[in-house]
Amino acid sequence: MAFDFNSLFAFIIFGVTIGVVYGIVALGISLIYSGLDIVHFAHGEMYMFGAFFGLVLVHNIGLPYPLALIGAMVLTALLGMAIERTFYRRLTRAGGGYTVAGMGMIICGFGMSVALVNVAYFIWGAEAEPFRANLNFIPRLTFAGDIEVPESYVLTAIISVILMAALHYFLRHTKMGLAVRAVAHNKDIAYLMGINVPLMISLIFGLACGLGAAAGVLIGPMQSVQVEMGYLMLMKAFAAAVVGGFGSLPGAIIGGIMVGIFENLGAAYISASHKDIYAFLLLILVLMFKPSGLLGIEAKVKA
Amino acid sequence: MLQINNMQAGYGNLRILRGINMEISAGSIVTLLGGNGTGKSTLLKAVSGLIPLMEGSISFDGVDITGLKPHERVRRGIVQVTQAKEAYPAMTVEENLMLGAYTRKDRGAIKADLDQVYEFFPVLRERRVQLSGTLSGGEVQMLVIGRGMMAGPKMLMLDEPSAALAPKVVLDIFGNINRIAKTGVTILVVEQNVRMALILAEYGYIIRDGVIMLQGDAKKLISDPAVKESFLGGSVADTSKILHN
Repeated sequence: MAFDFNSLFAFIIFGVTIGVVYGIVALGISLIYSGLDIVHFAHGEMYMFGAFFGLVLVHNIGLPYPLALIGAMVLTALLGMAIERTFYRRLTRAGGGYTVAGMGMIICGFGMSVALVNVAYFIWGAEAEPFRANLNFIPRLTFAGDIEVPESYVLTAIISVILMAALHYFLRHTKMGLAVRAVAHNKDIAYLMGINVPLMISLIFGLACGLGAAAGVLIGPMQSVQVEMGYLMLMKAFAAAVVGGFGSLPGAIIGGIMVGIFENLGAAYISASHKDIYAFLLLILVLMFKPSGLLGIEAKVKA
Repeated sequence: MLQINNMQAGYGNLRILRGINMEISAGSIVTLLGGNGTGKSTLLKAVSGLIPLMEGSISFDGVDITGLKPHERVRRGIVQVTQAKEAYPAMTVEENLMLGAYTRKDRGAIKADLDQVYEFFPVLRERRVQLSGTLSGGEVQMLVIGRGMMAGPKMLMLDEPSAALAPKVVLDIFGNINRIAKTGVTILVVEQNVRMALILAEYGYIIRDGVIMLQGDAKKLISDPAVKESFLGGSVADTSKILHN
């Protein structure tokens, strides 16, 4: 393929847009990691359920796309909170991280992932379904003469920025956000401040699942919706979280963008058929040269 | 105000407190003394609800609170000032203080309390936009006490406020604890600095191996030969003069 700056520019733009979506899923994983001290292996399925909820709300209920996005986030948040309360809470109560219960939590997450894929299979079947959303209200951007950015990409960029800004505002400028940060840092002290810690943990989990769902609804119109879409997203989001520094929220977004750009450039200039490998190549490079990730502080070992 | 009956608590199968009885009346300053590993911190955790009781009961303001969760106890006015190292280092001084007022909704009163904290500890006002991780040891101690005041406590429990601080700073902090008590807050201060604590307090308990070994008026304890021998040396008159003037 001949090299020209216009197409390089285009690949980077597409890479950033997809990367921000990885970043949003990674943001959820990081939120759960810092809030509950666990790595949530069923987070890809939250993304998948979010995409299906969005699809049902648009196709079957006939909601306009933006409302469906919000609806899918709320439904997935509730689903996530129910799962956390019923299944994970028993384990996290005994401690997360490097404790025995923390190991149990990893296995529980994997099990939940398989179970959720099968539940989705029962409801929606194995076929990939196209997500037909009416995005005519979004302008199609054209730059540098011949680069066209489709509506779904423009929308993804806009929604992602809004979500990140809202999360930042929530965490930094509201009382509840302050409580979330307090719980993430130390649960005992948070309790002594009068914070209802179990409630905050539910909230953190719901928030993270809602973000995953948003990513699903954003990706839906670009690709299609399928019950096994969560696996690859989980892996890419993990790569994003590790590249950015596990547990760091800005790191999750930056890691996501880097993974997105890296894989788009790899697909364009090396080989398109190995698109999904580049994320992990980047992951390995980062682990070799800066194991704590780009924005990561020293590995956070919890007792 | 606080009544502890036959309290037994610990971690897992390890019973650390083995039948504690204490009574703290409203408006008083009470101190709990003991060396390392005698159960002082465990007792505070049990009263604030971070660990469950194995046996016994706690009541506050005449209501049994044994089964309440920590945040519910804070709402009732039982506030534990954490050890100084337990401020939130990645939050600013003012964020830490506002976190103390988390359970409250009365904005006007919160603002007034914030001003009072800044009046008690002027250095916190100077540092209010600084991350608390950048404060000195004494300043962090002031911060966690201020954070406790922000909760609008009926009873404030302090966990070794003199730990690892210079004598001059300790005097300043104990003077301020005295001022807090004068605003009508009941104080329970857990200490290893026996002399300072007995000068400040009206009544003292001495804990050893999870039981109350000795209790009585602070003035009596300070001259008790047993206490003197195991904890104190030298004269207490000078410190007393500085603290109470």
